Amino acid sequence: MFVVLAVFPGQIAPDDPAAEIFQPGLGASSHHLLGTTAYGQDVFSQIVWGTRQSLLIAFAVGGLATLLAVLIGVTAAYIGGTTDGVLSLVTDVILVIPIFPLVIVIAAYQKNAGFATLVIVLGALGWSYGARQLRSQTLSMRMRDFLEAARVRGERRSYIILFEILPTMTSLIVAAFLGAAVYAVLTAAGLQFIGLGDPNSQSWGTMLYWAENNEALGAGMPLWAIMPGVCVALLGAAFALLNYAFDEISNPALRPVRRIRPAAVAPLEPAAAATDPDTILEVADLSVAYATGTEPVVAVDHVDLQLARGEFLAIVGESGCGKSTLLYAISRLLNPPAEITGGSVRFHGRDLVALGESELRSIRWSELSVVMQSAMNALNPVLTVGAQMRDACKAHSDMTSAEITARSKEVLRLVSIDPIHLHSYPHQLSGGMRQRAMIAMALLFSPELIIMDEPTSALDVVAQRSLMVQIKELQKRLGFAVVFVTHDMSLVSHFSDRLMVMYAGQVVELGETRQLFDAPLHPYSGGLLEAFPSVRGPKVPLLGIPGSPPDLARPPAGCRFQPRCPVATDACLAASPPLYPVDGSLVRCVRYEQRDVA
Amino acid sequence: MSEPLLRTEGLTRHFKVGPLMSRQTLHAVDDVDLTIGEGEIVALVGESGSGKSTIARLLALIYRPTKGEIYFRGKPVSRLRSRKERLAYSGEVPMVFQDPYSSINPAYRVSHGIMRGLKLHRTKLGRRGRREELEHVLGTVGLVPAQDVVQKYPYELSGGQRQRIGFAQALGLRPKLIVADEPVSMLDVSIRVGILNLMTELREREGVSFLYITHDVASARYIADRVLVMYAGHLVEEGPTEDVLQRPKHPYTQLLLSAVPDPKAKLGLADTIDVGEPPRVVNPTPGCRFRQRCPHRVVACEGLTPLLREIGPGRRVACHVAEPDVASAASA
Repeated sequence: MFVVLAVFPGQIAPDDPAAEIFQPGLGASSHHLLGTTAYGQDVFSQIVWGTRQSLLIAFAVGGLATLLAVLIGVTAAYIGGTTDGVLSLVTDVILVIPIFPLVIVIAAYQKNAGFATLVIVLGALGWSYGARQLRSQTLSMRMRDFLEAARVRGERRSYIILFEILPTMTSLIVAAFLGAAVYAVLTAAGLQFIGLGDPNSQSWGTMLYWAENNEALGAGMPLWAIMPGVCVALLGAAFALLNYAFDEISNPALRPVRRIRPAAVAPLEPAAAATDPDTILEVADLSVAYATGTEPVVAVDHVDLQLARGEFLAIVGESGCGKSTLLYAISRLLNPPAEITGGSVRFHGRDLVALGESELRSIRWSELSVVMQSAMNALNPVLTVGAQMRDACKAHSDMTSAEITARSKEVLRLVSIDPIHLHSYPHQLSGGMRQRAMIAMALLFSPELIIMDEPTSALDVVAQRSLMVQIKELQKRLGFAVVFVTHDMSLVSHFSDRLMVMYAGQVVELGETRQLFDAPLHPYSGGLLEAFPSVRGPKVPLLGIPGSPPDLARPPAGCRFQPRCPVATDACLAASPPLYPVDGSLVRCVRYEQRDVA
Repeated sequence: MSEPLLRTEGLTRHFKVGPLMSRQTLHAVDDVDLTIGEGEIVALVGESGSGKSTIARLLALIYRPTKGEIYFRGKPVSRLRSRKERLAYSGEVPMVFQDPYSSINPAYRVSHGIMRGLKLHRTKLGRRGRREELEHVLGTVGLVPAQDVVQKYPYELSGGQRQRIGFAQALGLRPKLIVADEPVSMLDVSIRVGILNLMTELREREGVSFLYITHDVASARYIADRVLVMYAGHLVEEGPTEDVLQRPKHPYTQLLLSAVPDPKAKLGLADTIDVGEPPRVVNPTPGCRFRQRCPHRVVACEGLTPLLREIGPGRRVACHVAEPDVASAASA
């Protein structure tokens, strides 16, 4: 709207804004919408014409400042070294200069400075903030592989900066532009208000200046002052909104998330839970959906599982199969847009899905603890290992300091870390030690169940192997149960009691680990086992599994594995098969239907 | 012996680390001699931090060697002065990156990188020629129909498809040697083998050599003719793939192989628990870098860095105690 006003001032407000042709001091009327000034000028016309100047300043300063910010910020970060040092120093100095007083000084020195001077001064001073942001963004991208790829390709530096880096930062650049523009309008209005700049120009600031000079309020003409003020505020708000809008368009992750109304969760009959006293975890009919796009995406689709005391269950699948989401759902650590849409998670007979946050806190860690994929992210980098253990103990128990220290040392010894590392910070430990420290923390309260999400995937083969052996030994000694998620089936082959294979949000096979490895029932499990070469035995050509896992927003008709399945038939297209029991295992494949009947 | 396609001599790269006052030297790669022949697939195996990715970046001219030289077809690479000469080399020795999610610029369609490569390196091609070549290389890496693929943005492709784009970019340059830095480690298990098969096919059809960098011994065995094992910046063992994997001579290679999960093997839980990890090689003193973890350590390992020595045909090992490879000597 402001743009329209700025481009067509003549059509909208026919009266010459400078012409002192009307009777001074008129109130608002149909001819003079907002009245006239002390000199008989039409206020509405002035506002409209002022818009043009304000926007011109905004765009000119925004453009100039953004150009400088991009040039200096990106170049500094990409080239690095001394260039970066010098340019960053300049940026920081300009950032701390109190701009407004400085501009006042300059403006006072250059009496009646024109439009161009104003733009240049504001532009030259206003780029530093944007430059800082662009620099840090570029720094984080400098080692991204696609830039290295461009370098390896033999691109020149100027090409990389202009055509590889800049296009990926459009939203930041727009933000820098709009930020500089708002700042320009405000500063210009401020300057003109205090009477610097050309008092005869048509701008909101000048209007404020004249309003002040002619004692608008005293004269009973508040509109003289209010209207330009409102316009400045509105323009600022408009730019800010534009900025948000652009962010949302360019980054889908920022779009507001609609929450899914969970379908009424039918309370599970307690009789079912009490089947086996040895069962500590019972997941029944659990579903999780992500609220993205128009339709919720079902990431975990009606999963059932039971876990006995001291059992080691491995959950295997490829990325996006829902295995991690399932873990998060069990430990109630899901964040929106993911939500449990049905089913129950019974831990010791209590349904975790129905528990409130405070009750969950008392269970988590003391009875059920979680070890995450990346210890470096899960550990607090500014606290020592010991301090983190102390915090955990204080939050979950009323142990004394001495008891806490004793227990911390004890659990570190359990995972073969020298207790001296209580005083170490996470970055001082190696990757394997950090992951073991995480397991030590999980053991603080001797939980009955430890949930592990790919705890070894960041480690090298040798460290991976030793961690697995250690987990297994601890489990034997302390008797906790483990739910272990991994994408690498062979990793758990010697460690887990049972194996659950997931594909596209569903359980496709669940059975004894050894049995599943020796005679996989589901074509997908078989495919996974055959998908990767072995270090021993004869060398055979492998085919892998053709295609890639389906998009869960549009799962294929019938069996979800059917498009990639080597033994698919028409029956697989017709309906999604249920889980059939076969020799103590469960398998979701229509080929086992007859056995079910027999 | 005729000159191999690529050869390095004493290739060394150090990095300065730590605060300005107490600068230390990180020895990422020390004194590496390796050769890659025409049409050969060589696997470079090692753990993270062993220096294998640094070698990739040295060969791709991202880093300059601290010491040592790379010879490509017998010519020292450090003598390539002009932009034209360097461009010619990087066209013949392109690199494929590990992370298919960060190696393609998200702001462009996936054809961008391939087209830029063609424009820079195949200057004789006109507009139409580039277009045809683009579709040709996409077809070669199995991305069909090419007309649909070129319209896509990176986020519309799966990890495996993106990695194929990476190989297509390299192929467009008519390469002699593709340096592939962990090209499958970020991909899902079920599609990894497709990429490995693609590399073998490209070798068969286009005669391209590969330096396949990986931490996964099993995949190295699947495609490589020869394997090089790195530990803490040193090359510790090399030889024909089957020889090295069947009869590893360096204690580190032995440890690495015993740690590879193998569902078919039996496992005693008392099996080697090795809680040690590779050292960060900062300001190292002479001596074997594996000695702290080594079960066969002798006095010489403390002060004397073992050099690679011949222990069988094509087999070299850097260890004071390793025995000669009798079996391969007998079969040769």
